[in-house]
Amino acid sequence: MARKLRITVDHDVCVGNAMCETFATNTFALNEERQSEAVNPDGDPLSQILEAADNCPVSAITVADAETGEKLFP
Amino acid sequence: MVASTNSRISDDMFTDEVIADPYTYYGRLREEDPVHWNEQYSLWVITRYDDLVWLTRHNELFSSAVFKNDPKPPYPTIYDSDLGLYEFVREYQSRQFIQHDRPAHLDMRKVVHGYFTPRSMEEWRPMVRDAIKDLLDEAEERGSMDVMRDFATPLPLLIIAQMMGVPKQDRPYIREVAEKLLYVGRGEPWRMQNFSEGIREMIEYVTPLVEERIVNPQDDFISVLARGEREGVFSREQVISNSSLLLLAGHETTINLLCNGILSLIRNPAQWEMLREDPEGMHVKATEECLRHDSSVKSITRIAAEDVELRGQVIRKADRIRWFISSANRDPRKFPNPDDFDLTRWPNPHVAFGAGIHHCLGATLVRVEGQEAFRAFAERFNALHLDTTEELEYQPSITFRSVKEMPITWD
Ligand code: HEM
Ligand code: HEM
Ligand code: SF4
Repeated sequence: MARKLRITVDHDVCVGNAMCETFATNTFALNEERQSEAVNPDGDPLSQILEAADNCPVSAITVADAETGEKLFP
Repeated sequence: MVASTNSRISDDMFTDEVIADPYTYYGRLREEDPVHWNEQYSLWVITRYDDLVWLTRHNELFSSAVFKNDPKPPYPTIYDSDLGLYEFVREYQSRQFIQHDRPAHLDMRKVVHGYFTPRSMEEWRPMVRDAIKDLLDEAEERGSMDVMRDFATPLPLLIIAQMMGVPKQDRPYIREVAEKLLYVGRGEPWRMQNFSEGIREMIEYVTPLVEERIVNPQDDFISVLARGEREGVFSREQVISNSSLLLLAGHETTINLLCNGILSLIRNPAQWEMLREDPEGMHVKATEECLRHDSSVKSITRIAAEDVELRGQVIRKADRIRWFISSANRDPRKFPNPDDFDLTRWPNPHVAFGAGIHHCLGATLVRVEGQEAFRAFAERFNALHLDTTEELEYQPSITFRSVKEMPITWD
């Protein structure tokens, strides 16, 4: 069973670059304002989600284990 | 159409006054006619923060393939005899991914994006710090410095050349070619001759480097692009065009950030003191405020991909549009006391790097360079002074906010 993730996107800094959506297509989607939302925290394998977070040019994304709170990114 | 209370706003964006102080002119448009049709240059001038953010994030409505799709003649005008050269420049430019729309843009950007993540840029920080230290040591030995010539110009070139794997001895040559290409957006009618000469020289210089990396990939940036060719994303022409894009990209813009930032610090002694008292705590915020307050890039173009309505105006398909970062970053609806240079501003959601899918690829790198540069100045010097009694002069560009020179002294 994959671990449950808590993913946040900081809308104060997200510039709608859409790189997260590109790397983890099922997890992130741009909303009306063209800012990213983590629409499905287990939409993609963890490695892909971490790659998406890493590729955000403004470091808007955090990823943590929803149960233990362990920080996975950054 | 113009809701001006007293006089109609002149459409000449290249007057000495507007070049010297873009904030008053574009600020007035922002308040009086935020979606303004400029008759003289046949283009829409967009000046409010919210409109910029909306426009840049709706890439399907506003095309970036400006050189390919703009049916109108170049502006300001160029010599008729240079129209052939203009076509050459257009052709070359239109291969760079900054000039592409989706889906091609995404495929191209993906190849290079991973190289510029915030984390991987951190690895360059020590190298940036060393380069800054060397340049400032040299300046102290000489006892004087033109921030533009002696610091801001060599720094980004040293860094990017090292990232791209350009041999050290070739750097003066790159700089020379860069000067021709950096006439970008300046108004001189003969500018196409410089561009096309510069582009030809750049292609000649980069081609063997690329060919060598195709056979012999290394861990430098040209090799990353060359991999794009092997994977079928780029043609050879595109690898070459994009290598030269990245070699010079952001060159002028980084120079401007460093010069305009130091200038703001000189003109605002209380803010300079704040940075000096706590360089470690303030260098990040200071860089963001420098990016916002006197932005390196003043404006960027798009072409409408379909009819779009904005604030009651209808922008027609194929109309050209220019969005002004310099006025958006001073929009009082978004930034309290927008004309104040205030290092404590936080968060600072400026649009100096644009937004949406074309958000500046080099932003992560530039932030490291700016942070280390402003920190180094604050740690090293007690006070900075402009070494001239004249007003500083700016390049007559609608794109870049570039001082021509910036001599300083210190104690
Ligand atoms: C202070 C310095 C800089 C500023 C203010 C700046 C500003 C910008 C802006 C406003 C854009 C958006 C253009 C558009 O939407 O059409 C942009 C795009 C771009 N910038 Fe920068 N830039 C800077 C430095 C750099 C550097 C150092 C590099 C390269 C290492 C770079 C590479 C790029 C590239 C490749 C794009 C195109 C991205 C795309 O189309 O996806 N920039 N920049
Ligand atoms: C090798 C790199 C580059 C070359 C050779 C180059 C060359 C040019 C040329 C020839 C023009 C036409 C100017 C005119 O018609 O007056 C132009 C325009 C422009 N370039 Fe570049 N450029 C480069 C990189 C960049 C980058 C990285 C950016 C983004 C930060 C940028 C932003 C612009 C903008 C905003 C314009 C104004 C055109 C417009 O928006 O109407 N350029 N460039
Ligand atoms: S990559 Fe970052 S900036 Fe871009 S849409 Fe995703 S969260 Fe926003």
